[in-house]
Amino acid sequence: MPIKAMTQEWMDAYKAAIQADPEYKSIAKDWEGSVSLVVNPDPAKNVPEPIYLFMDYWHGDVGEFVVCDKEKAESAKFVMTGDYARWKQVAFKELDATKALLQGKLKMRGDLPYVVRNIKTVNKVIDILGKVDTLWPDDNK
Amino acid sequence: MAGGYAGKFLRVNLTEGSWGDFTLDDDTLKRFIGGSCLAAKLFLDRYSLDADPLSPENPLMIMTGPMVGSGFPGTSRFSVCARSPQTGIWAESACGGTFGPDLKRTGYDGVVIEGRSQGPVTLTIDDSGVRITDASSLWGRDIYEVTDEIKAHDKSVKVLAIGPAGENLARIAAIGNDKGHFSGRAGLGAVMGSKNLKAVVVRGTSAKAAKADDEGFKLAMKTAMQEIKDSALAEGLHMMGSDANMDLGMVTGDVPVKNWTSGGEFDLASNLSGPTMREKYLTKAHACTNCPIACKRVVKVDDGPYTTEEGPGPEYETCAVFGTMMMNPDLTAVIKANEFCNRYGMDTISCGSAIALAMELYEKGEITKDRLGGLDLSWGNMDAVLKLVRQIAYREGFGDILADGAVHAARRLGGSAMDAVVHVKGLEAPMHDPRGFHGMGLAYMMSNRGACHLQHFVLATEQGMASWPQLFDMKDDYEGTTSEGKAWLVYNSENYGILANSLSICHYVAYAIRPETLRDAFNAITGFGFDFADLLSTGMRDWTLKRGFNNLLGISKKDDILPKRIMTALEEGGAAGSVPDMDLLLREYYALRGLDERGFPKEEVLLKLGLNELKERLYR
Ligand code: SF4
Repeated sequence: MPIKAMTQEWMDAYKAAIQADPEYKSIAKDWEGSVSLVVNPDPAKNVPEPIYLFMDYWHGDVGEFVVCDKEKAESAKFVMTGDYARWKQVAFKELDATKALLQGKLKMRGDLPYVVRNIKTVNKVIDILGKVDTLWPDDNK
Repeated sequence: MAGGYAGKFLRVNLTEGSWGDFTLDDDTLKRFIGGSCLAAKLFLDRYSLDADPLSPENPLMIMTGPMVGSGFPGTSRFSVCARSPQTGIWAESACGGTFGPDLKRTGYDGVVIEGRSQGPVTLTIDDSGVRITDASSLWGRDIYEVTDEIKAHDKSVKVLAIGPAGENLARIAAIGNDKGHFSGRAGLGAVMGSKNLKAVVVRGTSAKAAKADDEGFKLAMKTAMQEIKDSALAEGLHMMGSDANMDLGMVTGDVPVKNWTSGGEFDLASNLSGPTMREKYLTKAHACTNCPIACKRVVKVDDGPYTTEEGPGPEYETCAVFGTMMMNPDLTAVIKANEFCNRYGMDTISCGSAIALAMELYEKGEITKDRLGGLDLSWGNMDAVLKLVRQIAYREGFGDILADGAVHAARRLGGSAMDAVVHVKGLEAPMHDPRGFHGMGLAYMMSNRGACHLQHFVLATEQGMASWPQLFDMKDDYEGTTSEGKAWLVYNSENYGILANSLSICHYVAYAIRPETLRDAFNAITGFGFDFADLLSTGMRDWTLKRGFNNLLGISKKDDILPKRIMTALEEGGAAGSVPDMDLLLREYYALRGLDERGFPKEEVLLKLGLNELKERLYR
């Protein structure tokens, strides 16, 4: 049964999927720090308000995974912002997140060299994101 | 006169010790713009293709473009061009740094150097004129020493110099500008050495090329600065330099490992990466004239066996070729090798590739320690590598065999050597593996100076650093390990990207700004009023002209080929199991480019591009 994207239930499922992944722990062993995703509103695609998601990653473990407010989102070590359609492309692996950043389709605030150094971790969590059975706001299901 | 041009070119004959000016009409400038494109046109019009590249008859051309000196970001560049002593075909090597704008301010758009001086000389071009002076006291000295010596008299001058490798006619010799910027590829340093020309010194302050539309230029400039400020690519380059690619490229299968035989060496990459250089050895970022990105590294190594004074740091290509390619995890050894190559004046890609080849042959027992003069060339033995770098520059011992590049070396060494060289048309491939990015494989096959990542923007478009659907039909994201749709991508990325070396703008800046901004700045400077179609067709003319140049030298379809090693799949890493589909890529590309069965541009293509004289020569 697909879960509505960008809801707390979906965040819980995403967290569980990361925890269950057999490779995640070792790939992400060096990563420390929280990441926020900011989804810009797109009323035409049933995203009327911005959505803020906060995720805490720590040396192969995962902590708080919540839908949050703007203030909390901005407190994260890394804040990534983009239009809803871009995030969906990333989740569907139609657009690589690093390429999206370089092309300006996503924006990031945070330590870029750190992200580059840990690119395998970034790729892994996006990989897992794509595996969460998701109902997107503009899906006609 | 078209805007952006100083209005005249300098022709120097070193045999006669004479010089004079010449001009070109606006129509020629509009069709061939400047830089390497204009150089190819001049070469075909005025010089013989039959001359040995190291003979006095091979002209050495140092060309700027109309954007140089404008103050627009990334336009400090110039191209050095000649027929290559390494490959025998067209050679061009663009360089950033400081030299281009100063040359332009002396009142010259470019310099064509003919002949050969009796003894070592320096060519000086400044506001007061042109001088050829004795350089005997500089001969034999390395590029850092020569640059310091010349600048000791006047630190405002800009210096282009060769080192011992150029003097010794190593066919992989480079030309250095102010120590940190190099025209590295295809042996142009040897052409300069063959002319007994140790240095070209410029200092220009007075001449100013008028812009066609000052207000339009200011607007384009402001837009470009904002786009660069907003660009994550520019930010990454500033923070990590070009070596930002090391970690990312190891994941995608871009980085060659162990002379192109392995992949997936993540720890190795991490040791050699841009973030590591930044954390441990970077003292500051450095910029070419008028560039807000400042991707250049200045590094210093305080401890260990490879200490270095503060100086220019290695690019990604150097980190790969003296790092992953040699199974060397020590970034300080790469920094040292980079310093040696800079000082001796050698292209790091060619030098490192030749050594990596020798390491493989040593492992296989095809080269013995005896033949190496006692060097143990085991993978990762950087003490031996550094000794060999010096031997190459001075053509000493085994270094003499490697001094002409990996292909010449493989021919001399025999055995399995040729199968272990990754090159196209005699030029060693840069450090981007076509098994991870098939479009790059096609670009290597079709680049006019041999395997090259800088005659086009394929690196940017295929790897997703830039997406320009306003220029041509393209996707946001291409899978690297497929050949489908890549001919179209490469063809268009060539037509746009080849302009970098005629307009004379840095690739990185062109990746970071929108094509609209580049077009508007170009038009505001020149007054040419080009739209995207005009720009792309100028790129087509540029590519076709150089292809024709090479066809006249015997290049044909048989030479458009990837080497055996690249057509052998890797077992690990991001490119595992993948090889480019050469037949598909070439078939589609040939159709797009209008090449006939021999690999020659068809007559109608040449006529459409206004290359009538070339058509006469190719079809006589
Ligand atoms: S991006 Fe780097 S190479 Fe290009 S002009 Fe700027 S400093 Fe020079």
